[in-house]
Amino acid sequence: MSKPTLAARQAALVAALVAGAPVPAGFDGRLVDAAEKSLRGKRAGEVAAAWPLLAAGLGDQWHDRFRRWARGRPPRGALRDGWDLARELAFVGELPALAQAELATREVAARYDGRRDPRPRRGLVARRVRGGVAVGFLGRVHLICWRENLRIDSADRGNGLTYAWRHRGRRGDPTVAESPDR
Amino acid sequence: MAVNPLAGLGLGVGWRPEIAGLVADLPGVRFTEVVAESLHREGELPTPLAVLRARGVTVVPHGTRLSLGGAEPLDPRRVRQFVSAAATLDAPLVSEHVAFVRAGGLEAGHLLPVPRSREALRVLARNVGTLRAELDAPLALEPIAALFDWPDDEFTEAEFLTELLERTGAWLLLDVANVYANARNRGADPADLLDRLPLEQVAYLHVAGGAEHDGLYHDTHTAPTPEPVLALLRQLSARFAAERLAPPMLLERDGGYPPAAQLRAELDAIASAAGLARITPPDAPPGGQVSNTTLAGSR
Repeated sequence: MSKPTLAARQAALVAALVAGAPVPAGFDGRLVDAAEKSLRGKRAGEVAAAWPLLAAGLGDQWHDRFRRWARGRPPRGALRDGWDLARELAFVGELPALAQAELATREVAARYDGRRDPRPRRGLVARRVRGGVAVGFLGRVHLICWRENLRIDSADRGNGLTYAWRHRGRRGDPTVAESPDR
Repeated sequence: MAVNPLAGLGLGVGWRPEIAGLVADLPGVRFTEVVAESLHREGELPTPLAVLRARGVTVVPHGTRLSLGGAEPLDPRRVRQFVSAAATLDAPLVSEHVAFVRAGGLEAGHLLPVPRSREALRVLARNVGTLRAELDAPLALEPIAALFDWPDDEFTEAEFLTELLERTGAWLLLDVANVYANARNRGADPADLLDRLPLEQVAYLHVAGGAEHDGLYHDTHTAPTPEPVLALLRQLSARFAAERLAPPMLLERDGGYPPAAQLRAELDAIASAAGLARITPPDAPPGGQVSNTTLAGSR
Protein backbone atom coordinates (compact mmCIF):
# COMPACT_ATOMS: atom_id res chain seq x y z
CA MET A 1 0.00 0.00 0.00
CA SER A 2 1.36 3.39 -0.92
CA LYS A 3 -1.04 5.22 1.40
CA PRO A 4 0.15 5.45 5.02
CA THR A 5 -1.85 3.35 7.46
CA LEU A 6 -4.57 4.88 9.61
CA ALA A 7 -2.35 4.30 12.66
CA ALA A 8 0.47 6.36 11.10
CA ARG A 9 -1.90 9.11 10.01
CA GLN A 10 -3.51 9.32 13.45
CA ALA A 11 -0.05 9.49 15.04
CA ALA A 12 0.97 12.33 12.71
CA LEU A 13 -2.20 14.24 13.56
CA VAL A 14 -1.76 13.84 17.32
CA ALA A 15 1.89 14.91 16.99
CA ALA A 16 0.73 18.07 15.22
CA LEU A 17 -1.83 18.73 17.95
CA VAL A 18 0.35 18.17 21.02
CA ALA A 19 4.00 17.88 20.07
CA GLY A 20 4.65 20.77 17.70
CA ALA A 21 4.85 18.61 14.55
CA PRO A 22 3.69 20.12 11.24
CA VAL A 23 0.02 19.81 10.28
CA PRO A 24 -0.28 16.69 8.06
CA ALA A 25 -0.90 17.32 4.35
CA GLY A 26 -4.48 17.84 3.30
CA PHE A 27 -5.82 19.09 6.63
CA ASP A 28 -7.10 22.64 7.02
CA GLY A 29 -4.18 24.26 8.84
CA ARG A 30 -6.28 27.04 10.33
CA LEU A 31 -8.72 24.58 11.88
CA VAL A 32 -6.06 22.20 13.18
CA ASP A 33 -4.24 25.18 14.71
CA ALA A 34 -7.49 26.26 16.37
CA ALA A 35 -7.88 22.75 17.79
CA GLU A 36 -4.26 22.77 19.01
CA LYS A 37 -4.86 26.05 20.80
CA SER A 38 -8.10 24.79 22.25
CA LEU A 39 -6.38 21.65 23.61
CA ARG A 40 -3.83 23.80 25.45
CA GLY A 41 -6.64 25.89 26.90
CA LYS A 42 -8.39 22.78 28.17
CA ARG A 43 -5.13 21.54 29.70
CA ALA A 44 -4.65 24.88 31.44
CA GLY A 45 -8.00 24.36 33.17
CA GLU A 46 -7.20 20.78 34.17
CA VAL A 47 -3.76 21.67 35.50
CA ALA A 48 -5.22 24.62 37.43
CA ALA A 49 -7.62 22.18 39.11
CA ALA A 50 -4.75 19.85 40.06
CA TRP A 51 -2.44 22.73 41.12
CA PRO A 52 -4.81 25.36 42.51
CA LEU A 53 -2.13 27.38 44.29
CA LEU A 54 0.17 27.42 41.29
CA ALA A 55 -2.66 28.80 39.16
CA ALA A 56 -3.82 31.20 41.88
CA GLY A 57 -0.25 32.37 42.44
CA LEU A 58 0.08 33.32 38.79
CA GLY A 59 -3.37 34.91 38.84
CA ASP A 60 -4.27 36.65 35.59
CA GLN A 61 -1.09 35.36 33.99
CA TRP A 62 -1.95 31.71 34.52
CA HIS A 63 -3.61 30.97 31.19
CA ASP A 64 -1.02 32.73 29.05
CA ARG A 65 1.85 31.36 31.03
CA PHE A 66 0.58 27.79 30.90
CA ARG A 67 -0.35 27.96 27.22
CA ARG A 68 3.09 29.26 26.32
CA TRP A 69 4.76 26.54 28.37
CA ALA A 70 2.53 23.78 26.94
CA ARG A 71 3.10 24.62 23.28
CA GLY A 72 4.77 21.60 21.70
CA ARG A 73 4.86 19.66 24.99
CA PRO A 74 2.70 16.53 24.92
CA PRO A 75 0.34 16.30 27.91
CA ARG A 76 1.52 14.00 30.69
CA GLY A 77 -1.57 14.38 32.82
CA ALA A 78 -2.48 17.38 34.96
CA LEU A 79 -0.41 16.29 37.96
CA ARG A 80 2.82 15.90 36.00
CA ASP A 81 2.24 18.91 33.75
CA GLY A 82 1.80 21.18 36.75
CA TRP A 83 4.74 19.60 38.52
CA ASP A 84 7.06 20.11 35.54
CA LEU A 85 5.98 23.72 35.14
CA ALA A 86 6.33 24.45 38.87
CA ARG A 87 9.85 23.01 38.92
CA GLU A 88 10.86 25.06 35.90
CA LEU A 89 9.48 28.23 37.43
CA ALA A 90 11.28 27.42 40.69
CA PHE A 91 14.53 26.89 38.79
CA VAL A 92 14.36 30.34 37.23
CA GLY A 93 13.15 31.91 40.48
CA GLU A 94 9.69 32.75 39.18
CA LEU A 95 7.59 30.36 41.21
CA PRO A 96 4.96 32.39 43.10
CA ALA A 97 5.15 32.13 46.87
CA LEU A 98 1.77 30.43 47.13
CA ALA A 99 2.95 27.75 44.74
CA GLN A 100 6.20 27.18 46.65
CA ALA A 101 4.21 25.67 49.47
CA GLU A 102 2.20 23.59 47.03
CA LEU A 103 5.27 22.30 45.22
CA ALA A 104 7.03 21.53 48.51
CA THR A 105 4.12 19.47 49.80
CA ARG A 106 4.01 17.51 46.54
CA GLU A 107 7.76 16.92 46.61
CA VAL A 108 7.66 15.46 50.10
CA ALA A 109 4.53 13.40 49.41
CA ALA A 110 5.86 11.66 46.30
CA ARG A 111 9.02 10.90 44.37
CA TYR A 112 8.86 12.22 40.81
CA ASP A 113 11.74 11.74 38.40
CA GLY A 114 10.20 13.86 35.63
CA ARG A 115 9.81 10.85 33.36
CA ARG A 116 7.34 8.47 34.99
CA ASP A 117 4.27 9.02 37.15
CA PRO A 118 5.10 10.14 40.71
CA ARG A 119 5.21 7.43 43.36
CA PRO A 120 4.32 7.99 47.02
CA ARG A 121 7.25 8.29 49.40
CA ARG A 122 7.22 6.05 52.44
CA GLY A 123 9.81 7.41 54.84
CA LEU A 124 10.02 10.67 56.70
CA VAL A 125 10.89 13.53 54.35
CA ALA A 126 11.39 17.20 55.07
CA ARG A 127 11.99 20.04 52.69
CA ARG A 128 12.66 23.66 53.44
CA VAL A 129 10.34 26.25 52.04
CA ARG A 130 10.73 29.97 52.46
CA GLY A 131 10.05 30.66 56.11
CA GLY A 132 9.10 27.11 57.01
CA VAL A 133 9.38 23.45 56.39
CA ALA A 134 7.28 20.79 54.67
CA VAL A 135 7.29 17.46 56.45
CA GLY A 136 5.93 14.27 54.89
CA PHE A 137 5.41 10.94 56.55
CA LEU A 138 3.38 7.96 55.31
CA GLY A 139 1.61 9.98 52.64
CA ARG A 140 0.55 12.82 54.95
CA VAL A 141 2.15 16.20 54.59
CA HIS A 142 2.34 19.10 57.01
CA LEU A 143 3.61 22.48 56.06
CA ILE A 144 4.79 24.48 59.00
CA CYS A 145 5.63 28.13 58.55
CA TRP A 146 7.24 30.07 61.38
CA ARG A 147 7.87 33.36 59.69
CA GLU A 148 4.40 33.89 58.33
CA ASN A 149 0.97 34.09 59.83
CA LEU A 150 -0.30 31.30 57.63
CA ARG A 151 -0.22 27.56 57.80
CA ILE A 152 -1.35 24.99 55.28
CA ASP A 153 -2.31 21.49 56.28
CA SER A 154 -2.74 19.01 53.55
CA ALA A 155 -3.99 15.49 53.36
CA ASP A 156 -3.42 13.18 50.45
CA ARG A 157 -6.63 12.13 48.75
CA GLY A 158 -6.28 10.05 45.64
CA ASN A 159 -4.21 11.90 43.08
CA GLY A 160 -4.51 15.35 44.49
CA LEU A 161 -3.89 17.13 47.71
CA THR A 162 -6.59 19.03 49.47
CA TYR A 163 -5.74 22.01 51.54
CA ALA A 164 -7.21 23.45 54.67
CA TRP A 165 -6.11 26.99 55.30
CA ARG A 166 -5.67 28.10 58.85
CA HIS A 167 -4.71 31.48 60.11
CA ARG A 168 -2.36 31.57 63.01
CA GLY A 169 -3.55 35.06 63.79
CA ARG A 170 -0.23 35.99 65.39
CA ARG A 171 -0.11 39.31 63.64
CA GLY A 172 -3.69 40.06 64.39
CA ASP A 173 -4.99 40.58 60.89
CA PRO A 174 -6.19 37.43 59.14
CA THR A 175 -7.03 39.36 55.98
CA VAL A 176 -3.36 39.76 55.09
CA ALA A 177 -2.83 36.05 55.24
CA GLU A 178 -3.13 35.24 51.52
CA SER A 179 0.53 35.58 50.75
CA PRO A 180 3.18 33.82 52.82
CA ASP A 181 5.81 35.76 50.87
CA ARG A 182 6.18 38.82 52.98
CA MET B 1 -34.79 -2.91 17.39
CA ALA B 2 -34.79 -3.68 21.09
CA VAL B 3 -36.55 -1.46 23.62
CA ASN B 4 -34.48 1.54 24.68
CA PRO B 5 -32.96 0.55 28.06
CA LEU B 6 -33.26 4.17 29.22
CA ALA B 7 -36.81 4.77 27.98
CA GLY B 8 -38.85 7.09 30.14
CA LEU B 9 -36.04 8.35 32.37
CA GLY B 10 -36.69 11.97 31.46
CA LEU B 11 -34.18 14.73 32.11
CA GLY B 12 -30.87 14.20 33.87
CA VAL B 13 -27.62 16.00 34.49
CA GLY B 14 -24.09 14.59 34.33
CA TRP B 15 -22.79 13.79 37.81
CA ARG B 16 -19.55 15.57 38.69
CA PRO B 17 -18.08 15.92 42.21
CA GLU B 18 -18.39 19.73 41.94
CA ILE B 19 -22.17 19.57 41.55
CA ALA B 20 -22.86 16.46 43.64
CA GLY B 21 -24.95 18.50 46.08
CA LEU B 22 -27.09 19.99 43.35
CA VAL B 23 -27.73 16.58 41.77
CA ALA B 24 -28.59 15.05 45.16
CA ASP B 25 -31.16 17.82 45.71
CA LEU B 26 -33.02 17.27 42.43
CA PRO B 27 -36.20 15.51 43.55
CA GLY B 28 -37.23 14.46 40.05
CA VAL B 29 -33.93 13.11 38.76
CA ARG B 30 -34.06 9.49 37.64
CA PHE B 31 -30.85 9.21 35.69
CA THR B 32 -27.39 10.63 35.55
CA GLU B 33 -24.06 9.85 33.96
CA VAL B 34 -20.58 9.57 35.41
CA VAL B 35 -17.26 9.80 33.58
CA ALA B 36 -16.18 6.16 33.69
CA GLU B 37 -12.48 6.95 34.13
CA SER B 38 -13.20 9.05 37.22
CA LEU B 39 -14.29 5.98 39.21
CA HIS B 40 -11.86 4.01 41.33
CA ARG B 41 -10.82 0.65 40.02
CA GLU B 42 -11.72 -1.21 43.22
CA GLY B 43 -15.42 -0.91 42.53
CA GLU B 44 -16.20 1.57 45.28
CA LEU B 45 -18.45 4.48 44.35
CA PRO B 46 -18.11 8.02 45.68
CA THR B 47 -20.66 8.27 48.52
CA PRO B 48 -23.04 10.73 46.78
CA LEU B 49 -23.22 8.40 43.76
CA ALA B 50 -23.84 5.39 45.98
CA VAL B 51 -26.69 7.33 47.63
CA LEU B 52 -28.21 8.11 44.21
CA ARG B 53 -27.97 4.44 43.24
CA ALA B 54 -29.69 3.48 46.50
CA ARG B 55 -32.48 5.92 45.59
CA GLY B 56 -32.93 3.98 42.36
CA VAL B 57 -31.33 6.59 40.11
CA THR B 58 -29.86 5.03 36.95
CA VAL B 59 -26.20 5.91 36.45
CA VAL B 60 -24.70 5.52 32.97
CA PRO B 61 -20.89 5.19 32.82
CA HIS B 62 -19.65 7.49 30.09
CA GLY B 63 -16.22 6.58 28.72
CA THR B 64 -13.90 9.21 27.30
CA ARG B 65 -10.54 7.41 27.04
CA LEU B 66 -11.10 4.05 25.39
CA SER B 67 -10.16 5.49 21.98
CA LEU B 68 -12.64 3.29 20.09
CA GLY B 69 -11.65 5.02 16.84
CA GLY B 70 -7.93 4.43 17.40
CA ALA B 71 -6.15 2.22 14.87
CA GLU B 72 -4.11 0.74 17.71
CA PRO B 73 -5.84 -2.05 19.67
CA LEU B 74 -7.74 -1.11 22.83
CA ASP B 75 -5.78 -1.02 26.08
CA PRO B 76 -7.01 -4.10 28.03
CA ARG B 77 -6.54 -2.28 31.37
CA ARG B 78 -8.84 0.52 30.26
CA VAL B 79 -11.38 -2.00 28.97
CA ARG B 80 -11.33 -3.80 32.33
CA GLN B 81 -11.84 -0.55 34.22
CA PHE B 82 -14.73 0.48 31.99
CA VAL B 83 -16.39 -2.93 32.32
CA SER B 84 -15.91 -2.85 36.09
CA ALA B 85 -17.51 0.63 36.27
CA ALA B 86 -20.54 -0.70 34.39
CA ALA B 87 -20.80 -3.67 36.76
CA THR B 88 -20.42 -1.55 39.91
CA LEU B 89 -23.16 0.79 38.72
CA ASP B 90 -25.35 -2.09 37.50
CA ALA B 91 -25.77 0.09 34.41
CA PRO B 92 -28.52 -0.75 31.91
CA LEU B 93 -26.41 0.94 29.20
CA VAL B 94 -22.90 2.38 28.79
CA SER B 95 -21.60 5.00 26.39
CA GLU B 96 -18.40 6.01 24.60
CA HIS B 97 -17.42 8.20 21.66
CA VAL B 98 -16.82 7.85 17.95
CA ALA B 99 -13.32 9.22 18.36
CA PHE B 100 -9.71 8.47 19.11
CA VAL B 101 -7.69 10.09 21.90
CA ARG B 102 -4.14 8.76 21.49
CA ALA B 103 -1.78 7.55 18.80
CA GLY B 104 1.91 6.87 18.42
CA GLY B 105 2.46 6.96 22.19
CA LEU B 106 1.00 10.46 22.60
CA GLU B 107 -2.17 11.40 24.47
CA ALA B 108 -4.20 14.10 22.75
CA GLY B 109 -6.07 14.99 25.94
CA HIS B 110 -9.33 15.30 24.04
CA LEU B 111 -11.65 13.48 21.64
CA LEU B 112 -10.42 13.62 18.05
CA PRO B 113 -12.41 12.83 14.90
CA VAL B 114 -11.78 9.74 12.80
CA PRO B 115 -11.85 9.90 9.02
CA ARG B 116 -15.25 8.92 7.65
CA SER B 117 -13.71 6.04 5.71
CA ARG B 118 -14.13 2.29 5.26
CA GLU B 119 -10.87 1.76 7.14
CA ALA B 120 -12.13 3.76 10.14
CA LEU B 121 -15.40 1.78 10.09
CA ARG B 122 -13.41 -1.46 10.26
CA VAL B 123 -11.31 -0.14 13.15
CA LEU B 124 -14.38 1.05 15.07
CA ALA B 125 -16.23 -2.22 14.49
CA ARG B 126 -13.20 -4.20 15.66
CA ASN B 127 -12.75 -2.12 18.84
CA VAL B 128 -16.45 -2.09 19.67
CA GLY B 129 -16.41 -5.88 19.21
CA THR B 130 -13.49 -6.19 21.65
CA LEU B 131 -15.32 -4.07 24.20
CA ARG B 132 -18.67 -5.76 23.84
CA ALA B 133 -17.11 -9.19 24.29
CA GLU B 134 -16.38 -8.08 27.89
CA LEU B 135 -19.53 -6.03 28.54
CA ASP B 136 -22.90 -7.23 29.76
CA ALA B 137 -24.65 -3.91 29.11
CA PRO B 138 -25.55 -2.50 25.70
CA LEU B 139 -23.39 0.30 24.32
CA ALA B 140 -24.34 3.70 22.92
CA LEU B 141 -21.91 5.58 20.65
CA GLU B 142 -21.69 9.37 20.66
CA PRO B 143 -20.55 11.34 17.61
CA ILE B 144 -18.25 14.17 18.73
CA ALA B 145 -17.96 17.86 18.02
CA ALA B 146 -14.88 18.29 15.84
CA LEU B 147 -13.19 21.52 14.82
CA PHE B 148 -11.77 19.94 11.66
CA ASP B 149 -12.44 17.05 9.29
CA TRP B 150 -10.07 14.61 7.64
CA PRO B 151 -9.19 15.50 4.06
CA ASP B 152 -10.36 12.29 2.43
CA ASP B 153 -13.77 11.44 3.88
CA GLU B 154 -15.57 8.78 1.87
CA PHE B 155 -18.95 9.17 3.58
CA THR B 156 -21.18 11.94 4.86
CA GLU B 157 -21.57 12.00 8.63
CA ALA B 158 -25.08 10.51 8.42
CA GLU B 159 -23.95 7.70 6.10
CA PHE B 160 -20.95 6.96 8.30
CA LEU B 161 -22.96 6.86 11.53
CA THR B 162 -25.78 4.80 10.05
CA GLU B 163 -23.29 2.25 8.73
CA LEU B 164 -21.44 2.23 12.06
CA LEU B 165 -24.61 1.56 14.07
CA GLU B 166 -25.63 -1.14 11.64
CA ARG B 167 -22.27 -2.90 11.86
CA THR B 168 -21.92 -2.69 15.62
CA GLY B 169 -25.53 -2.96 16.76
CA ALA B 170 -24.83 -0.04 19.09
CA TRP B 171 -27.31 2.60 20.22
CA LEU B 172 -26.79 6.24 19.33
CA LEU B 173 -26.01 8.86 21.97
CA LEU B 174 -26.90 12.01 20.10
CA ASP B 175 -25.37 15.22 21.40
CA VAL B 176 -27.53 18.11 20.24
CA ALA B 177 -24.78 20.62 21.03
CA ASN B 178 -22.31 18.63 18.93
CA VAL B 179 -24.73 18.56 16.02
CA TYR B 180 -25.11 22.32 16.37
CA ALA B 181 -21.36 22.94 16.71
CA ASN B 182 -20.40 20.82 13.70
CA ALA B 183 -23.09 22.31 11.46
CA ARG B 184 -22.21 25.82 12.48
CA ASN B 185 -18.46 25.35 12.03
CA ARG B 186 -18.95 23.66 8.66
CA GLY B 187 -21.52 26.20 7.53
CA ALA B 188 -24.18 23.49 7.21
CA ASP B 189 -27.79 23.17 8.35
CA PRO B 190 -28.02 20.94 11.46
CA ALA B 191 -31.46 19.73 10.32
CA ASP B 192 -29.81 18.01 7.33
CA LEU B 193 -28.03 15.59 9.64
CA LEU B 194 -31.12 15.03 11.81
CA ASP B 195 -33.15 14.20 8.68
CA ARG B 196 -30.76 11.39 7.82
CA LEU B 197 -30.00 9.78 11.17
CA PRO B 198 -31.84 6.68 12.42
CA LEU B 199 -33.62 8.48 15.27
CA GLU B 200 -35.21 5.24 16.52
CA GLN B 201 -31.72 4.13 17.55
CA VAL B 202 -31.16 7.09 19.87
CA ALA B 203 -30.74 5.81 23.45
CA TYR B 204 -30.40 9.27 24.96
CA LEU B 205 -29.43 12.83 24.16
CA HIS B 206 -26.74 15.17 25.40
CA VAL B 207 -26.99 18.91 25.57
CA ALA B 208 -24.40 21.45 26.74
CA GLY B 209 -23.13 24.96 26.31
CA GLY B 210 -19.99 26.20 24.62
CA ALA B 211 -18.23 29.35 23.56
CA GLU B 212 -17.17 31.08 20.39
CA HIS B 213 -13.50 31.91 19.72
CA ASP B 214 -12.08 33.22 16.47
CA GLY B 215 -15.27 32.49 14.57
CA LEU B 216 -15.47 28.85 15.71
CA TYR B 217 -17.96 27.40 18.17
CA HIS B 218 -16.20 25.29 20.82
CA ASP B 219 -18.25 22.72 22.69
CA THR B 220 -16.61 23.40 26.07
CA HIS B 221 -19.36 22.31 28.50
CA THR B 222 -18.37 25.32 30.60
CA ALA B 223 -21.16 27.73 29.66
CA PRO B 224 -24.96 27.68 29.77
CA THR B 225 -26.75 26.00 26.87
CA PRO B 226 -27.21 28.78 24.30
CA GLU B 227 -30.54 29.56 22.68
CA PRO B 228 -29.67 28.11 19.22
CA VAL B 229 -28.95 24.73 20.86
CA LEU B 230 -32.27 24.91 22.75
CA ALA B 231 -33.98 25.76 19.47
CA LEU B 232 -32.44 22.71 17.83
CA LEU B 233 -33.55 20.65 20.81
CA ARG B 234 -37.13 21.89 20.35
CA GLN B 235 -36.98 20.88 16.68
CA LEU B 236 -35.58 17.48 17.50
CA SER B 237 -38.10 16.85 20.28
CA ALA B 238 -40.92 17.52 17.82
CA ARG B 239 -39.44 14.87 15.50
CA PHE B 240 -39.22 12.38 18.35
CA ALA B 241 -42.79 13.14 19.41
CA ALA B 242 -43.98 12.56 15.83
CA GLU B 243 -42.34 9.12 15.89
CA ARG B 244 -43.69 8.43 19.39
CA LEU B 245 -40.16 8.27 20.79
CA ALA B 246 -39.06 9.94 24.01
CA PRO B 247 -35.38 9.30 24.67
CA PRO B 248 -34.11 10.80 27.91
CA MET B 249 -31.86 13.81 27.84
CA LEU B 250 -28.82 14.80 29.87
CA LEU B 251 -27.14 18.15 30.49
CA GLU B 252 -23.33 18.02 30.58
CA ARG B 253 -21.37 20.56 32.56
CA ASP B 254 -17.62 20.18 32.99
CA GLY B 255 -16.38 23.41 34.47
CA GLY B 256 -17.18 27.05 35.12
CA TYR B 257 -19.88 25.77 37.48
CA PRO B 258 -22.52 28.44 38.09
CA PRO B 259 -24.49 28.95 41.31
CA ALA B 260 -27.01 26.14 41.85
CA ALA B 261 -29.98 28.40 41.10
CA GLN B 262 -28.61 29.12 37.62
CA LEU B 263 -28.00 25.47 36.86
CA ARG B 264 -31.52 24.59 38.05
CA ALA B 265 -32.90 27.34 35.82
CA GLU B 266 -30.96 25.91 32.89
CA LEU B 267 -32.36 22.45 33.62
CA ASP B 268 -35.87 23.92 33.64
CA ALA B 269 -35.24 25.65 30.31
CA ILE B 270 -34.04 22.34 28.82
CA ALA B 271 -37.03 20.44 30.24
CA SER B 272 -39.31 22.99 28.66
CA ALA B 273 -37.52 22.87 25.27
CA ALA B 274 -37.55 19.05 25.27
CA GLY B 275 -41.11 18.72 26.51
CA LEU B 276 -39.96 16.77 29.56
CA ALA B 277 -41.06 17.08 33.18
CA ARG B 278 -39.03 19.41 35.38
CA ILE B 279 -36.71 17.70 37.85
CA THR B 280 -35.90 20.71 40.04
CA PRO B 281 -37.41 21.29 43.50
CA PRO B 282 -40.89 22.84 43.22
CA ASP B 283 -40.10 25.42 45.92
CA ALA B 284 -37.02 26.74 44.13
CA PRO B 285 -37.35 30.22 42.65
CA PRO B 286 -38.90 30.11 39.18
CA GLY B 287 -36.24 29.38 36.59
CA GLY B 288 -37.33 31.10 33.41
CA GLN B 289 -36.25 34.59 34.33
CA VAL B 290 -32.76 33.70 35.53
CA SER B 291 -32.31 31.32 32.65
CA ASN B 292 -33.09 33.83 29.97
CA THR B 293 -30.72 36.35 31.47
CA THR B 294 -27.97 33.74 31.72
CA LEU B 295 -28.44 32.50 28.19
CA ALA B 296 -28.59 35.96 26.70
CA GLY B 297 -25.45 36.90 28.60
CA SER B 298 -23.55 33.95 27.19
CA ARG B 299 -24.00 34.79 23.56
